[in-house]
Amino acid sequence: MRTFLPVEDLARDDRFVRYTMRERMADKRASARIDAKERSKTSNRITPDRRDGADAARGLMHGILVGEIQALEGAGRTCHDFRVTGIAERGPLATQPIADAAPAAEVPFALKLDMARQAWDEARHVEISVKLAEWMGSDIGSVAENTVLFEAACSTDPVLRLAGVNRALEGLAIDVFTTMKEFGELAQDPYLAFCEDWMLADEVTHVKMGSDWLRSLTANDPARRERALEFQRVVDKMFSFGGTRSDSMDSPIGLARRFRELAGFTDDEVADIAEVSLQALNERKQSIRAARQSSAHSTAGIEPAGFEPAGIEPAETA
Amino acid sequence: MADPYKPRAPFAPWDRRDLPGLFDVEETARRVGNYKWAEMKLFEALGGWVATVPELDVKMRLGTHCYKHAWHAELWHKRLPELREMNPDRLTVPANDAFVAFVEGVTEPEAPGLTIEKLVGVYRVFLPHLVGAYTFHLNATSEITDAPTIRSLKFILQDDMEDWREGEMLIQSLIETPEEVDRAAAHQARLEKLIVAAGGVAGPGSIGRQPASV
Repeated sequence: MRTFLPVEDLARDDRFVRYTMRERMADKRASARIDAKERSKTSNRITPDRRDGADAARGLMHGILVGEIQALEGAGRTCHDFRVTGIAERGPLATQPIADAAPAAEVPFALKLDMARQAWDEARHVEISVKLAEWMGSDIGSVAENTVLFEAACSTDPVLRLAGVNRALEGLAIDVFTTMKEFGELAQDPYLAFCEDWMLADEVTHVKMGSDWLRSLTANDPARRERALEFQRVVDKMFSFGGTRSDSMDSPIGLARRFRELAGFTDDEVADIAEVSLQALNERKQSIRAARQSSAHSTAGIEPAGFEPAGIEPAETA
Repeated sequence: MADPYKPRAPFAPWDRRDLPGLFDVEETARRVGNYKWAEMKLFEALGGWVATVPELDVKMRLGTHCYKHAWHAELWHKRLPELREMNPDRLTVPANDAFVAFVEGVTEPEAPGLTIEKLVGVYRVFLPHLVGAYTFHLNATSEITDAPTIRSLKFILQDDMEDWREGEMLIQSLIETPEEVDRAAAHQARLEKLIVAAGGVAGPGSIGRQPASV
């Protein structure tokens, strides 16, 4: 078996449909759904009182399911792809070249143990998510799968994987589970709230693992730490999905500050993520506004004068 | 109430544990080092395969079993310093080169269409041999002096028996045609020959047989 499996080779059964981040962001239908008449005036959070609340929650649940599958795969690959420090390698890994990873091809035994533990946790999360998706009325494969999560787990530097997956992605999971737990509580669905609460506990543990290993592995290598944190910023912005997650009430998913602190994020780091997320939201608004204006120009005479993109609020500041 | 000062036998009548065992400290450490290496290779392979199998139920089982073998490796890692090996990495080695060849054979399948081969390698060859070696160790070691190893062996065997059953049932559920029966049997036979050449997880004598050369 190779080390470093490319994202294209992720194995799925026939139910799953894959699409790229570029395709997602270019999908005009997603933009068109943002409409003030279709949602609460004060908030765009996923709540049961939103007219599309049930569909949005089902869609998010499916996103959680495929995210958990990829997180399971990513943790599993980290168990496999790197040599263990101190163990003389025998067999395929001893001779297999690890491209561009010479300084980072080894990890401590304890890190692999943590990743194996995470694989078990993610496998449980897949089990939970399959049952919850069914409970909420959606089928596996009913929503397309974006594999950006696994891509973050493909770095040849284990520190970058920890930054991208455990801190950025699992950090997003904290935000998502908090939102879904609140949705379950508001909808008086104890089944949903109960499950999200348990998964949230695991995610805090995974983020903490990432924070602890990142600090420990780069304690004497500030340049490597900076590269990892920069990678995390990029992934954090990417995982903001154009402002889907931010402190702003315009974002369907909020930033779970308290749980992030429990997971080892410093106040500055949380503030940094908040800023990056808000930036992503504002860029998304700008892009939608431009698209709508362009559309209005091309249909001049059809739209009323002074047409303003529906549901798009002015850019926000932190 | 019984008189608390009345002398009692140090071992209760139902406690039939005995002192003699087949392994001294050095031999126990050697075997434990081989076990740790084997468990490491197993959890690394299971973790790596998760992304390569399309079957969702298999994916989830592999992720779960990956952790169990990592935990077993950790138990052995912690046992080594208690067996006078202060550098556990030194003894974290395969029993011999033939066992390395066996592990290479087990971990070779990667394509998404080879789930049967992946599972057969682990659940019809590797795990049964691991269970054999652990059971022999459990039955042969000193029940009193080596109690910590026995405790770990019992935890591990409980996991392995459950996982063996789950893996076997997954294989049975995947094999639907005579051709797939042949595929599974051929792969099993190929790997079985490799591990026989190695003498088992801990080399010749893994389950108590004398080495062929003796």
